[in-house]
Amino acid sequence: MAGSGVLALSRRGCYRTLGLCHRRNLNMAKLRVLFESGAPERTIEFDPAKAPFQHNGRPGSILDVLLSHGVHLEHACGGNCACTTCHVIVKTGEGKLSEAEENELDLLDRAPGLTSTSRLGCQAVIQDDAEITVLRPRFTINAA
Amino acid sequence: MERESDTPQRVTYAATVERMIESAPGTRSLFLRLPPSQHFTFIPGQFISCLLPLDGEPAIRPYSIASSPEEPARLEICLNLVPGGVGSRYLFSLAVGAAVRFTGPWGRFTLDRQPQAECVFLAEGTGIVPIRPMLWRALQSRDTYPLRLHYAAASASHLLYADEFERAAREQPRFTFAPLLGVSLVELVTQHYLAGDTDRTRHFYICGVGTIIPQLRDLLRRGGYERRAVHYEKW
Repeated sequence: MAGSGVLALSRRGCYRTLGLCHRRNLNMAKLRVLFESGAPERTIEFDPAKAPFQHNGRPGSILDVLLSHGVHLEHACGGNCACTTCHVIVKTGEGKLSEAEENELDLLDRAPGLTSTSRLGCQAVIQDDAEITVLRPRFTINAA
Repeated sequence: MERESDTPQRVTYAATVERMIESAPGTRSLFLRLPPSQHFTFIPGQFISCLLPLDGEPAIRPYSIASSPEEPARLEICLNLVPGGVGSRYLFSLAVGAAVRFTGPWGRFTLDRQPQAECVFLAEGTGIVPIRPMLWRALQSRDTYPLRLHYAAASASHLLYADEFERAAREQPRFTFAPLLGVSLVELVTQHYLAGDTDRTRHFYICGVGTIIPQLRDLLRRGGYERRAVHYEKW
């Protein structure tokens, strides 16, 4: 029985084990997705250290996490930072995303419905223990 | 992939491979024919996203359109065989008559109408592909602003569409074609468009693979060209 194994450990060993668990929990990140369309929101918990989760976008990016957890986000260019169809609006936790590079900013410039917290899902990488909320805009389909 | 019920479904085009040619060593042009029932329009410079039946979910691979919008039912894409690249390997394996599904057009690296300024096109390797229709569009206008193409390639045999560009340069005095073999685009840009030249009214259209593209972008923007006059697409 697993519990008896933990109990049998010395006080120091037990402490160390708990410490490891604690660190792992700290690394977990949370991504909450709201849908402008009114579809029910989704919350995804994941370990950023396990990225990439699939093959589109930067490893550990919003796109990577969403696609691998069954949430659709357009990515017409395959997540190569060449279009704006994965545009999302960050509601909270912006500081726990990788900084936008010039290529992303240049593309976002021309994204419909641009806001000051807009990001491209394929480029914004979620850091350890982040709690991010993003809004998926309704209209991205005809927006190259 | 689960889709929320409200996610609109985009149009998927179903083309067939009509013809293919080896345009350069390791480089192939595929000519895709669309059925009469499907109308496709695009702006020079845009790309299509091929939906390739690899494993499970169709893999999305973007390819710039090498042909001009004036012939929308027959699209040309041109690609390198990428070592270890499953997408290019799949497309290279196709025979005439094979089906290719795609969405599009996509992309913001476009030239619909020539800006009222000299235009300099900087292409590296297959980065020439989206620039080709942009150039033809610019050449159609009655503007007199100079058009220059600097096209860097590994060797003369790797220059795509060189005959066309040479012919256009002979026929249209405002167009200059300058193939670049063994010289870096960075060096060229520094010498011709930055050092000892004070004109900063030009527009640049830059396309290629890898870090040289942001390098050229930064060089020009920091050198005094307007941010929005430096257009680029990095693959």
